[in-house]
Amino acid sequence: MGYTKKKEMIAMLLAGGQGSRLGVLTNYVAKPAVPYGGKYRIIDFPLSNCVNSGIDTIGVLTQYQPLELNAYIGNGQPWDLDRLYGGVSILPPFVRGKAGEWYKGTANAIYQNMQFIEMYNPEYVLILSGDHIYKMNYQMMLDYHEEKNADCTIAVLRVPMEEASRFGVMNADQDLRINEFEEKPPVPKSNLASMGVYIFNWSKLREYLVKDEADPDSTNDFGKDVIPEMLRCGERMYAYEFKGYWKDVGTVESLWEANMDILDPNVPLNLDDPPWKIYSRNGNLPPQYVGNHAAIRNSNISEGCIINGYVENSIVFPGVTIEKGAVVRSSVIMPGCRIGADAVVEYSILATAVNVGERARIGYTEKTECAGGGHRPITVLRQRLQIGCGVIIAAGAMLEEDVYGEV
Amino acid sequence: MNVLGIIFSYAKRENLRELTKIRTLASLPIGGKYRIIDLLLSNYVNSGVTDVSIITQNNYHSLIDHLGSGKEWDLTRKRGGLRVLTPFASPGTGDHPGGFFQGSIEALAGNMHSLRRSMEDYVIMSGSSMLYNMDFERLLDTHISTGADITAVYAEPSRTCRSVPVGVPIYHMDDQERICDLTVNTEEGLKDDVPWGMFIFVLRKSLLESLVADAMSYQRYDFEMDIIKRLAPTLYIRGYRYEDYVLEISSVTNYMEANMNLLHKSVYDRVFAQPIYTKIKDSVPVYYGNECYVKNSLISDGCRIEGVVENSVLSRGVRVGKGSVVRNSIVMQNTEIMQNVSLNHVILDKDVIVRENRQLAGHVTYPVVIEKLSIV
Repeated sequence: MGYTKKKEMIAMLLAGGQGSRLGVLTNYVAKPAVPYGGKYRIIDFPLSNCVNSGIDTIGVLTQYQPLELNAYIGNGQPWDLDRLYGGVSILPPFVRGKAGEWYKGTANAIYQNMQFIEMYNPEYVLILSGDHIYKMNYQMMLDYHEEKNADCTIAVLRVPMEEASRFGVMNADQDLRINEFEEKPPVPKSNLASMGVYIFNWSKLREYLVKDEADPDSTNDFGKDVIPEMLRCGERMYAYEFKGYWKDVGTVESLWEANMDILDPNVPLNLDDPPWKIYSRNGNLPPQYVGNHAAIRNSNISEGCIINGYVENSIVFPGVTIEKGAVVRSSVIMPGCRIGADAVVEYSILATAVNVGERARIGYTEKTECAGGGHRPITVLRQRLQIGCGVIIAAGAMLEEDVYGEV
Repeated sequence: MNVLGIIFSYAKRENLRELTKIRTLASLPIGGKYRIIDLLLSNYVNSGVTDVSIITQNNYHSLIDHLGSGKEWDLTRKRGGLRVLTPFASPGTGDHPGGFFQGSIEALAGNMHSLRRSMEDYVIMSGSSMLYNMDFERLLDTHISTGADITAVYAEPSRTCRSVPVGVPIYHMDDQERICDLTVNTEEGLKDDVPWGMFIFVLRKSLLESLVADAMSYQRYDFEMDIIKRLAPTLYIRGYRYEDYVLEISSVTNYMEANMNLLHKSVYDRVFAQPIYTKIKDSVPVYYGNECYVKNSLISDGCRIEGVVENSVLSRGVRVGKGSVVRNSIVMQNTEIMQNVSLNHVILDKDVIVRENRQLAGHVTYPVVIEKLSIV
């Protein structure tokens, strides 16, 4: 005999997407492992939300570039997910006898791991994705799900009507019971946008996953196949309205914006929130040193940084060196970068360990004002790039190769 | 490494005023986010010693709270790992009075049951009033290759510790570095090039066991005076010179000096040449406001700075309000400095609130210390 511990709800976190719209930022890492917010990675948000909501069993489904993500999650200890029963498990695709295949779609990824879910025999399964920044109490959503006696509850956000066509849109009645789901409709009938957060009754989901798998025409996707099919069969599906900050960081522009949102006092995203901390793996770096030539304005700076230049409206990750005379403005500088003396970095995202030579200019444009009052296009540098001294990189570039400068 | 580490969390010659009123020396915050024990333990762990016992005497509540299971120092182990040994306040029998330890030897004797259980052959023992970055593996190799019975580490006055601290032993050695005698330094500001003992000793555990048992039977309780000095003629006790930085903490002024030393790039680089582990708080990155002005300072995560900070060391979660000026000061965890405050040569302990428009100033030779949880 053995002791088993049945779980009320477990979470399945879809972390296998490539995130190709993030360009060179996901050349070597899966999107959920992309650094965000000064010391976090995107996946810290759903993981911390789970733990803070009392969910202690999480399967992380990986497929694309999983190595860094696997190492980052490790045994789950930074999120308190090293548990006797449950905790965090990494679930890559695997071989079954002579069969076995890649995850074909979001629904298929869960289908291939039904055995994992069965081990915990849960009442409910929470499906999450690893590409959103938000703080949400899933327990409250579960209470709502039970209260509505629903088969499936989908978290939604009210977005401005003109933006609704970018999302999966729920059409629901007064009681928020969903009667129609449209993926990116040209003419949306409602402004309830899906956040990609679902709670299913496990028995019901299992039934539909098996059915979906048997359908050769299905793309095995939750949004495109499983949810529409459940609606067609008249299952009880409800929208759960979330009020708070939520941002899809799937594009370079939105990732930059989501970082800048932390510095904007008018945006309701507060990370300094002791009852709802966002946990992350710690690099054991010393406190940051701010030198005699530094000047810092409205910025977030992390451990292990050595700052001797000018930093304004920027998010600086751990272990970054900004030398004397360097200027960093409205940028996101990921861990371990070095900005050489008198270099200028503006409106840029520098991935991990980029080295910018002295006097180089990143994100340069001659125009001081941009059309329509917006900011200049974001420049992106791939991880570990070497930019030589005095090199000029034009605004909006997406750079994959080293650029040598003056010898 | 085949070594059991033993750390004494207290020192017999400390004078840290309010700072150690509510905590043992080893849990005194230093370098912003750390406590003294973090640098000591990290030095053991980075040298490959993963079996460490910490001997406490009193006020050890904050130390135990800080260390938890030892996970953050990678010391949650099936073999060895971290053990905190609290005083075994015995009721006393016959000629033995019971109660607290009377010296380092009695502290070791009281915990011998636990130390004996360790499977390691050697012991590296250290105190809590010196900070350093020492390769203990090299120290052990030297101890073994010289065939010494006991190896005692010594330093000489250096850039980070200019004079011989009062109360430490001065070793008298022959030209083979064999220690012949020991005297205690009583002179303040002694800058002579004399080797002074750092209270770091290496010896076989079996030898330690018999030396402790022997000393106890004669009611001798002080390791330095009753073992090193008394047995120097009979045992081969050898000095080992340590040449890197030493930060010595036994008074409020040199505590201040040790923190200020970390603001020098050369010292910062040496102290943090290897990772220093500490309890993780998951604080947010530091926020610097639009009107802040920060120069030559160490700032830890979770701080929010809207005023002026110069030549100072800030722990995690410190708030500096608009118009406030913090100079030459140490500010510990979660302390809040409201608006238009002026501080110079001040040590603010944890969870202090300094209200608007307050002014506090000490002097480099006598910093003002504000106790934990005070409201100024």
